[in-house]
Amino acid sequence: MARDLAIDLGTANTLVYMKGKGIVLNEPSVIALNRQTGEVLATGREAWQMIGRTPGYIVAVRPLRGGAITDFEITERMIRLLLQRVGVSRFTRPKVVICVPSAITEVERRAVTDAARRAGAADAQLIEQPMAAAIGADLPIDEPVGNMVIDIGGGTSETAVISLGGIVALEAVRVGSFDIDASIQAFVRREHGIAIGERTAEEVKVAIGSAAVTDDESQAEVRGRDLMSGLPKTVVLTPEEIRFAIDDVVSSIIASVVRCLAKAPPELAQDFLVRGMYLVGGGGLLRGLAQRIEKETQVPVRMSNMPLEAVVMGAGHCIEHYDALKGMFMGARR
Amino acid sequence: MIPAIIGVVALVAIFFAVRIIKAGPRGEPGVVSFRKHIDALSPEARREVMDRVRPPDRDNPDEPRR
Repeated sequence: MARDLAIDLGTANTLVYMKGKGIVLNEPSVIALNRQTGEVLATGREAWQMIGRTPGYIVAVRPLRGGAITDFEITERMIRLLLQRVGVSRFTRPKVVICVPSAITEVERRAVTDAARRAGAADAQLIEQPMAAAIGADLPIDEPVGNMVIDIGGGTSETAVISLGGIVALEAVRVGSFDIDASIQAFVRREHGIAIGERTAEEVKVAIGSAAVTDDESQAEVRGRDLMSGLPKTVVLTPEEIRFAIDDVVSSIIASVVRCLAKAPPELAQDFLVRGMYLVGGGGLLRGLAQRIEKETQVPVRMSNMPLEAVVMGAGHCIEHYDALKGMFMGARR
Repeated sequence: MIPAIIGVVALVAIFFAVRIIKAGPRGEPGVVSFRKHIDALSPEARREVMDRVRPPDRDNPDEPRR
């Protein structure tokens, strides 16, 4: 008998929750393929380590961008391999709940459910990421009070106001922590004349990236390829430079939070001043982001206890209480 | 021939009887289904999942992050 699954199909990482067991898989959403034969060579962490370091015949790709499927066939193969790894076979077809960005189109929604069904799921239902995040962050969404959650993922940032088990206001932008990495790459190329890879840009963000001035600031040495000479070169980056480089992306995320606050009914808006907003998702770990959102919105911002796992935990709760919560799935309300 | 027809009719009747019994009363009243939905979102209902998921080890610097 197959155990039902909840999947957080993120642009950056894919997490799988198995009913009755907990999180059984947490891997980067990356797949490495042989360009000539089309064979899958690696998935997850192993494929992630290959990004930017592959010979010509291998390509390591992220099949999701902005939370949407950019390559249907590769995504389907990735989901199939993920399901196989957690024990799904042609004889054990589980029910699957998949978390997706709330702003995805009908076509993208169909693409995700079709990919899951073809990959071995008996039934595939979708749930909006901010709703799953609010459940997983343990917010009291069963009460008639305003709960605000900001989910900053790899490709999307979503802010939602939730009360009495439903979404009251929602704002989403297709901007996330990968855009922060891309801004760092572009800045280093433009200002220092060196090319750095996706992974190096991410390392710089983790090491010295911040959205506001913090107490423990330090510089970082970055190695890349000089654009003029083509030789390896080292430059030193400061936190001020990185703040400047990523400011457009950070401002765009904060602007969407402000728009969501403006959409909230007044009765719920007053709750935020007391209860605060909750930050989830890997992008929320950027230093100084909570303080900057708090400064610009005048609303307290709190970090979820498990920001990376909140979404899949919320979807996992939906799979544990499938019948009672099936009204929350995207198809059920449209 | 007649016993076969009676048998088929009996099987069809049993099939429909079972379906009617299983279906129960038509639809659940809104109050009941809403209460179930809200109860399933209560902190007590969520405790099981929260307890099951332990914070993972994040000390490995080579771990990919979002």
